[in-house]
Amino acid sequence: MEEELLDSIFAAILDGDIPAAPGAVQAALDAGLSAETILNEGMIAAMSRVGELYEAGDYYVAEMFTSAKALQAGLSILRPHLQNSKVQAAGTVVIGTVKGDMHDIGKNLVAMMLEGAGFQVHDLGPDVHPSRFVNAVLEHKPDIVALSALLTTTMPAMQTTIDALSAAGLRDQVKIIVGGAPVNDEYAEHIHADGYAPDASQAVTLAKAMVTNG
Amino acid sequence: MNARERVLAAIRHQEPDGVPVDLGSTPSSGISAIAHYHLKHALGKAHWPTQVYDVVQQIAQPNDEMLDLFRIDVVDIGRAFDDRPEDWYAINLPDGTPVHFPTWFKPSPQPNGDWEVFNQDNVRIATMPLGATFFDQTCFPYLDGYPADFSDLPTVMPLVHWAGLAHSPWDHAGDADFWQQLRARALALRASTDRALMIVIGCNLFEWGAFLRRLDNFLVDIVTDPGNVERLLDALVEQHLKTLEKVCAAVGDIADIARFGDDLGADQGPFMSPKTYRQLFKPRHKIMTDYVKQHSSMHTFLHSCGSIYKLLPDLIEAGFEIINPVQTIARDMEPARLKQEFGKHLTFWGGGVDTRFILNRGTPAQVKDNVRANIEALAPGGGFVFNTVHNILPDVPPANIIAMFEAIDEYR
Repeated sequence: MEEELLDSIFAAILDGDIPAAPGAVQAALDAGLSAETILNEGMIAAMSRVGELYEAGDYYVAEMFTSAKALQAGLSILRPHLQNSKVQAAGTVVIGTVKGDMHDIGKNLVAMMLEGAGFQVHDLGPDVHPSRFVNAVLEHKPDIVALSALLTTTMPAMQTTIDALSAAGLRDQVKIIVGGAPVNDEYAEHIHADGYAPDASQAVTLAKAMVTNG
Repeated sequence: MNARERVLAAIRHQEPDGVPVDLGSTPSSGISAIAHYHLKHALGKAHWPTQVYDVVQQIAQPNDEMLDLFRIDVVDIGRAFDDRPEDWYAINLPDGTPVHFPTWFKPSPQPNGDWEVFNQDNVRIATMPLGATFFDQTCFPYLDGYPADFSDLPTVMPLVHWAGLAHSPWDHAGDADFWQQLRARALALRASTDRALMIVIGCNLFEWGAFLRRLDNFLVDIVTDPGNVERLLDALVEQHLKTLEKVCAAVGDIADIARFGDDLGADQGPFMSPKTYRQLFKPRHKIMTDYVKQHSSMHTFLHSCGSIYKLLPDLIEAGFEIINPVQTIARDMEPARLKQEFGKHLTFWGGGVDTRFILNRGTPAQVKDNVRANIEALAPGGGFVFNTVHNILPDVPPANIIAMFEAIDEYR
């Protein structure tokens, strides 16, 4: 019975069945399954499989988004229960698109995938001034700050954001990961970021490695 | 061969007398206003105008002297419009670059440094935040869901800035005699130049879905709500066919190439599976390319950014002869591989130099090496028109652009 309930949640997310996800989560809660079990075995497991299928070329961006939205629909039911439970988040992430850049769809997908991997995510949105990143780090004390930029012309704002964190004495307290079309490993090294990922799926792998290695 | 013959030979997969080159014949094969300004100064031609003909992307229209200097083989029919001094006015961009905007384009600078665009009903349809160098869409007419029918489609499309702030010739589409003007000006252009002529027709399908619903919602729609997606696509095709009918009648015997647009790829792969493309988009693309082939002598060109390798067999069957911009650093889009597998069926219009990392950040020597490698992979046997991978952006140094053209000259 427990397994069937978890399978329903897993399937709703894997299949991108957005309407079914909340009900599947509610049914599991009503049956007495813990928020932690539902999160880990129903949802994180499903998003991990989504990531595998995407890496293998069987799922595309469309499917990844749909599964992420199904995850969000399920999480909307689960979140209050997570807050009440002793579930340990995989880590805390502050994420945003840098100043001058309105593009956020890729960043949103990263945020959803990170949540789907058990991270607590604070999404600052697009066009984020460096001072807002500083304030968010002070407030949320994240493990990771994730910076997104779509344009070669807004990418330099990643450096100014890192400089702002350094000036505030916060640089050593966080790991900084970067992503977006104009970014690559070389650029990440150049600005002394801690990591780079080329897509949302690999961003999750990177974030998990960062919190494990400390 | 003259320029037009060179381009047509390439499209017909015959070896031309040299590599054909495009700069500025489409809104994704040109040069941004800021880069244009710096380039003209580096060339000692500060007096050349920097006319921002595509205000959304802030792209300049190269003048005839620049086209002559770089020996460009193809032009946009749109350049035949807005040809009077009173069609333009001088303005400084937020970074101080002096340019000319079309007289009809009046953005509103805000106290915080952002530039906003409001339409005639005072609806905010575009924004360029401080520090950015082009305008983003702000209005998504079907954001909250699909209407019961699409009779309002012609009235909501202008709320999308790509349509509402369209580049020439479409900025004149509302003129009472637009279609006569289009023919007359195209004929005059034809008579004045031996360059090939391009007409930019859009007719986007996936992208219009994204423009109307917003990309993230439409990506979910194509997976979970194909019924509504197909209703929308049918309405779009109906509208696009009306446009194509008039385009073919006006310039179908004058323009050499009709450019369709539909970004189907992200960096790591197509947005959708080939199966989804075949189900929802392919038959509808084919209806439109068939129309062009049956009612004109124009070749069919598809602009699609990203990693579209997995869709290429279907795009060929959908009737596209030319692919642009050939994003070589996207997954599976290596020039040699594309040429080997699809070179007989597709003309690669682009892929000439990587713009993500090399043209902007490389040395002139690295730019030349990249140009040579790409030309040698893509040009043999025709089926290639040199273009940068999408527009030359503001951060590209003039020395790199000049180096690029010097390397191209080694092949013509």
